[in-house]
Amino acid sequence: MIQFSDASVTYAGGVHAMQHLDLTIEQGEFVVIVGLSGAGKSTLVRAVNGLVPLTGGSLQVDVRPGRSLGGRSEGEPTSYDVVGLTGRRLRDLRAEVGMIFQGFNLVKRTTVLNNVLMGRLHRVPTWRTLLGMYPADDVELAMRALERVEIVDKAYVRASNLSGGQQQRVGIARALAQEPSIILADEPVASLDPPTSHAVMRYLQQINREFGITTIVNLHFLDLATRYADRIVGLRNGELVFDGPGSAADEHVFRDIYGRSLTADDVMGEEERGGDAEAVVTPPTSPA
Amino acid sequence: MSATAPSRRVARPDEPPPSRFGVAMGVLFVVMTALSVVSTGFSLDGIIEDLGRRNDSISGLLNIDLSVITSTRTLTAFVETLQMAVVGTIIGGAAALPLALASTEVGARTTTVRWLVRAFNNVVRAIPDILWALLFVAMVGIGVLPGLLALVFFSIAVTTKLTSDVLDGIDLGPVEAADATGAAHVAKLRTAVVPQILPAYSSFLLYNFELNLRASAVLGLVGAGGIGTRIEFYRSAGRWPEVWGIIVLFFAITFVVERLSIMFRRRLV
Ligand SMILES: Nc1ncnc2c1ncn2[C@@H]1O[C@H](COP(=O)(O)OP(=O)(O)OP(=O)(O)O)[C@@H](O)[C@H]1O
Ligand SMILES: [Mg+2]
Repeated sequence: MIQFSDASVTYAGGVHAMQHLDLTIEQGEFVVIVGLSGAGKSTLVRAVNGLVPLTGGSLQVDVRPGRSLGGRSEGEPTSYDVVGLTGRRLRDLRAEVGMIFQGFNLVKRTTVLNNVLMGRLHRVPTWRTLLGMYPADDVELAMRALERVEIVDKAYVRASNLSGGQQQRVGIARALAQEPSIILADEPVASLDPPTSHAVMRYLQQINREFGITTIVNLHFLDLATRYADRIVGLRNGELVFDGPGSAADEHVFRDIYGRSLTADDVMGEEERGGDAEAVVTPPTSPA
Repeated sequence: MSATAPSRRVARPDEPPPSRFGVAMGVLFVVMTALSVVSTGFSLDGIIEDLGRRNDSISGLLNIDLSVITSTRTLTAFVETLQMAVVGTIIGGAAALPLALASTEVGARTTTVRWLVRAFNNVVRAIPDILWALLFVAMVGIGVLPGLLALVFFSIAVTTKLTSDVLDGIDLGPVEAADATGAAHVAKLRTAVVPQILPAYSSFLLYNFELNLRASAVLGLVGAGGIGTRIEFYRSAGRWPEVWGIIVLFFAITFVVERLSIMFRRRLV
């Protein structure tokens, strides 16, 4: 469970990027955050793992390690008071929260596998990391994560040699390798074409369903939001202006959230098949 | 919007006058040069006259003695020079990586650490190689050890400076990603930063090795071991043919090393 209570973020420049937010997200939910550029979407997701510190209010994050790639048994739930969290405890929390970035944030000069192994850093002793000698179990987990996003064949390829969509799948694999109980995705498809975007969204959705990982995704595009979200949260000027199921979010709602009428730039469009070769890759349907 | 049909003629701007800074620098350069020529009494006549005079070192070049190359003493001194250069590069270069990392915002854990390391790096860089050699000769006596120590510090200065410049331009995305996974500081640097700079860093080490090889010829002049010791031995005895023989060998070796190094470095970056 993620619980913002009267939470605020004011940046050094005086911008109120989050204002008195009250928001509770239950374990296993798939939430999409929408809002105009500058509405505070990134601020909200980054607050969850403490990358952006709150300047007011409180934020509690409860993690309950559930089913995961490594078959990690149901761990004991841990509760984190994110405000003021530092050092080891902060890193413990972050290890439970996978993050996916708009720009993928891969180390381009190294292999796909090494990038995914980054998701294991919290578990691997530092001397092993320094020598690049990862335990076999962690390598196995990284490989499984790559299999989950169907890109294990590229394990030993340099990340710079992958297409954008493939790089984002590696980004997802890196998050998965953490065996997280929460995944945050900050505009994961903003630099991808429509078919690839749909593929990436489907992976996220299936991972959410299969492992019960709480998933929070920032999106620009309304059609993507309504199609994949269980729940949509609308932000404007750092304030919550909509919170409801994906099905309830129609054009009027979006007009409210955006404070203007909708344009073609607000929708991503359908996935045209047969364009990008990798786009036709359909994730396997997970056993329900 | 077609280029052939501009909607309105825009007046072309006048060429801006040369910047004041540029003019000032130009004037300064001319004045400094003139002052130096006058104050040192520089004259081409003097140089030509000196060159024409009988000169032991120049006549030594004409009677160059290449047989010194095969003498065991020379060869031993050369091996010593190579060893000093290799070990100096390895130790100094290894120390330079953490020192370079800790001098940057990403690499240093706290601002205090960063400023301390920067201050240290600046001091090391301010001292030239020959001065290090003099210092260590005074501290540990004549021999290979002071030369090696001098090269270690010289390597730290060179490689730290070059590496930290590269660190300023790395992609911070992976660093953020590593932070988000809950990685410890050192693990983050190892996985998100080092792979980005590794090719450049390796190339700097090779370049540093070239510099060390050349520096080691000079270090011997102050008693810090290596081939410079032999050069100084023959020079002080006025045996210029042998001095030139050693210089030719030294030139050949540095040339080969430099070619090899450039070849490797091309492949790295
Ligand atoms: N580090 C920062 N320092 C100062 N102001 C910031 C910082 N990060 C964000 N802001 C400001 O806070 C507000 C919210 O930013 P945020 O990045 O959360 O918006 P967003 O909804 O993610 O926008 P986008 O769609 O453009 O990514 C913006 O006005 C932004 O300029
Ligand atoms: Mg954003």
